[in-house]
Amino acid sequence: MDMNHGIGQPLGQEGRQPWLLETSGLTKKLGGKAVVRDVELRIGEGDIYGFLGPNGAGKTTTIRMLLGLAKPTRGRVTVFGKDLAKNRLDILRQVGSLVEYPSYYGHLTGRENLEVVRRLLDAPQERIAEALGIVRLEKDANRLVKGYSLGMKQRLGIAAALLGHPRLLVLDEPTNGLDPAGIQEIRELIKSLPQQRGVTILLSSHLLSEVEQMATRVGIITSGSLVYQDRIEQLKRRTAGRIRLAVSEPEAAWKRLLEQGWEARRDERGLTVPGGDDRDIAAIVAELVRERHAVYRVEEERSSLESVFLEMTGTGGSL
Amino acid sequence: MLARAIAAEWLKLKRKWILALAVIGPLGVVLLQAVNYGLRYDYVMKQNADDPWGGLLQATTGLMLPALFIGLALVASLSAGVEHAAGGWKQLLALPLTRLQVFAAKTLLTLLLLLLSCTLLAVFTLAFGAVLGFSLQELPWPDLLRQSYAPYAAAMPFVALQIGLSLAIGNQAVPMTIGVLGMVVSLFGMLLPDWVPYNWPWLALKAETALRAAAAGLGGGLLLLAAGCMHFTRKDVS
Repeated sequence: MDMNHGIGQPLGQEGRQPWLLETSGLTKKLGGKAVVRDVELRIGEGDIYGFLGPNGAGKTTTIRMLLGLAKPTRGRVTVFGKDLAKNRLDILRQVGSLVEYPSYYGHLTGRENLEVVRRLLDAPQERIAEALGIVRLEKDANRLVKGYSLGMKQRLGIAAALLGHPRLLVLDEPTNGLDPAGIQEIRELIKSLPQQRGVTILLSSHLLSEVEQMATRVGIITSGSLVYQDRIEQLKRRTAGRIRLAVSEPEAAWKRLLEQGWEARRDERGLTVPGGDDRDIAAIVAELVRERHAVYRVEEERSSLESVFLEMTGTGGSL
Repeated sequence: MLARAIAAEWLKLKRKWILALAVIGPLGVVLLQAVNYGLRYDYVMKQNADDPWGGLLQATTGLMLPALFIGLALVASLSAGVEHAAGGWKQLLALPLTRLQVFAAKTLLTLLLLLLSCTLLAVFTLAFGAVLGFSLQELPWPDLLRQSYAPYAAAMPFVALQIGLSLAIGNQAVPMTIGVLGMVVSLFGMLLPDWVPYNWPWLALKAETALRAAAAGLGGGLLLLAAGCMHFTRKDVS
């Protein structure tokens, strides 16, 4: 809890109460070690919430607890304003999920796989055709699933998750292992869902690039702790990072810029300046040219998720 | 809800030949008797001249108990195996139904399939006797029904054990090995003391001990099912 307040924007101050999904002090210990520690997720209605973190950070464990597949050691999960521990079935009726790799019965056809889920949900028959249509699997619906490509299996998993017309869709690493075309396809599908069906989506990934094109909010988890949670624009501002300048004499150029009061940094590959304001960049370049530095290249250097992580979890907590 | 869960379980077993298995088991037992009678009809009939039905029933028992033991292990393993193979537990258990319903649906389907096999055994035995020209008037109904259903009831602890193991252990080779070993041990069940469950299906065949063996089997089976269910409903899904 305190950690979260120390880093990033204070949680839950965006005036979007009540949250569709909210956890408080969510903790899971396995063999005495906390794999998820005091996680405070806040997901608003209509969000595409990108749940980011490196492999093994506790994303899937958290998601398992959100779905009642694993019991929290401590803490509470509230979905649709109800306590998950007490209203599990009520909540799950309105939640569709795809956890990690898709689960499917390979000896059944795509349609039969959906029929299994339909029977358990007691959903009307038409939903199967509808779900197949959304993920565009109509043509392959009567083939055995063991002959499906990974992308098709993933789409079938999403179709199964959509079958009950959920209010909340939980997708754990939905593009894992897909080829670029498959990733593109799933991405388009996910992006279209909130507008078309009014669902809220929780989407986990270990790739920031993956999530930033879809998400409206992000949470970043590392070593079991949620270290960041805010709107995507806030995170983009952080990753927008710096402008790298390749110049003929970086040492002299750096000193000059510092003298002029610019916040320049020198490293082994040259120098960088903050990339916030276009006019600042123009002024810096003009200054360097005036000083007769040859400016070879001006490029935006976007920090990778790893460097964002380092920034967020590194010593001193620079955020 | 339970009916829907069973309907879903049933669909999952499509193309698994499970219904065929339930039919082939008892059919095989009776067909082997047909071979036995075909090869040495005169000898067998002379042996059982005064009680042809009794002779047939007795000859069938030696084959049906091993078939029952292997059959219950197979059915339990198939029903749980589709989930393990699919990595399907997380999808299934994240659906709006209780763990108890999932456990009950799988257990009931297994019990029903085995009940079907036992019933078919009675039907096939009766049909085979009729083909041999045995008089239906002389058919000892109590013996036929006892032989068909009492060993099933007495074997209930093993049904419960196999269901529990198959659900708990992902690698179905483990419960199947235990099931096959169980069958081997059961072949010598009648040599074991009465309190050993492997002897109960044998005791269930005899008129004097059938009721006790069946009751002990049902009681023990219920206890084991409760234990298996508790384990299943409490564990975290990986």
